Amino acid sequence: MGLMLVGATVGVLGSVWLERKISAAAQQRIGPEYIGPMGSLAPLADGLKLLLKEDIVPFKADPLLFTLGPIIVSIPVFLSYLIVPFGQNLAIANLGTAIFLWIALSSIQPIGLLMSGYASNNKYSLLGGLRAAAQSISYEIPLALAVLAVVMMSNSLSTLDIVQQQSGYGILGWNVWRQPVGFVIFCIAALAECERLPFDLPEAEEELIAGYQTEYSGMKFALYYLASYVNLVLSALLVSVLYLGGWNFPIPVEAIAGLLGVSETTPWLQVLTASLGITMTILKAYLLVFTAILIRWTVPRVRIDQLLNLGWKFLLPVALVNLLLTAALKLAFPIAFGG
Amino acid sequence: MLKFLNQVGDYAKETIQAAKYIGQGLSVTFDHMKRRPITVQYPYEKLIPSERFRGRIHFEFDKCISCEVCVRVCPINLPVVDWEFNRETKKKKLKHYSIDFGVCIFCGNCVEYCPTNCLSMTEEYELAAYDRHELNYDNVALGRLPYKVTDDPMVTPLRELAYLPKGVMDPHDLPPNSRRSGLRPEEFIDKIEQQRDGESQAKAEKA
Repeated sequence: MGLMLVGATVGVLGSVWLERKISAAAQQRIGPEYIGPMGSLAPLADGLKLLLKEDIVPFKADPLLFTLGPIIVSIPVFLSYLIVPFGQNLAIANLGTAIFLWIALSSIQPIGLLMSGYASNNKYSLLGGLRAAAQSISYEIPLALAVLAVVMMSNSLSTLDIVQQQSGYGILGWNVWRQPVGFVIFCIAALAECERLPFDLPEAEEELIAGYQTEYSGMKFALYYLASYVNLVLSALLVSVLYLGGWNFPIPVEAIAGLLGVSETTPWLQVLTASLGITMTILKAYLLVFTAILIRWTVPRVRIDQLLNLGWKFLLPVALVNLLLTAALKLAFPIAFGG
Repeated sequence: MLKFLNQVGDYAKETIQAAKYIGQGLSVTFDHMKRRPITVQYPYEKLIPSERFRGRIHFEFDKCISCEVCVRVCPINLPVVDWEFNRETKKKKLKHYSIDFGVCIFCGNCVEYCPTNCLSMTEEYELAAYDRHELNYDNVALGRLPYKVTDDPMVTPLRELAYLPKGVMDPHDLPPNSRRSGLRPEEFIDKIEQQRDGESQAKAEKA
């Protein structure tokens, strides 16, 4: 539990700093520079500022719902870190239904969004909350279908088994080659679940001021802020686990060990492999976070009707077709597509 | 059935086009990352204001004739001209002159219309104070010259766009004493004279 919280917080600090620096580089400016070396204490300064702000509850707002909203949105995201593996023996919990747990937990999010939208006693927040809940619900189904295709190939819901199934052939064994469409669908749906551009209508600064987050300040807003970045890091890690081979190095480590003539059970090799695994996971997650930030500054925001169109009329049929295709290929070529 | 397949084909083509478009956008954004940032890191680097920059107003007490044109032409009638008529010498005597820079909009009307050129604009823009009453400059404060940004040892002065050599867009790392783009007035005269000589030579050859 403590490890999960510490890990998530470190991930958030890193990703907030990365977002500020990469956004600045894309816009030809420098970003945070003097707060800590290379501006790395900037997220800490953000957090401290939010801690010290006055925690306002608006007039005639429902106090219980207002406080519960951010809590319900953030806790499932933190809990989902239990299933993220960094190595064969380096997951906090090896559940048999890990991926299913993540999808179920992410479905709790719309309740919190509706709560905060309604309880703010602000018609714009209400609209923002409704839109956010609609977005969240619409993109869960393509997400689940894309995950289902991967799960069908790996014959197991556990993240460790999914990564295990991709190892052995190095970079050629990663799921992204067997499921290219699924990769794209999962990336788009994950971006929509995280409410990042181009799907950030709920917190579109120009449209609804800040949507369902308008009336929040201080610690509650800090919870939303944290949850947003924790969700981003979690999605990046899950994409790397499901499609990019988790902790696998592009060249299988067993092959390298065999080439060097070292037995696999030597302790120093195991330490090396473990640290290599952690590095690879973090590197892949960083690549996805980088792409997400780059997309944020490239693509314009989609309207609510375009957003729902995309979710229901495009991603859902394509995800279904992908699933059927995977099933057909699994029956036709059991060796390649999971026996 | 065929029509449906055609529609699916068209839709797929549109999707691929959209994906290519997004890819082009991403490559543009990625390309921006390798460029040098254009940030002017104030207060360690400051821009040198241009010649006609409308900064704080400067007042020469001895040149003022208390005509109050600056007050009449100011959009808010801001300058406070305290004068009295001296019956012996039949002249106005200026006692005090002040401008409140908390209210001034730095439009420069007073500078433009002053008949004796006692008002001018400096390049100073750093007028921040802790108390707005400190921004009410009297004639002594108005008469002070600002500290030049090129004299400050803690600051790297950067030139603005108009003062950079031709083709250069970035004031960082400019070699010292680089000339700005364009010719100076003396060089313009030389150029015109050369042109005239060339024309008269051509005419002489024709005739």
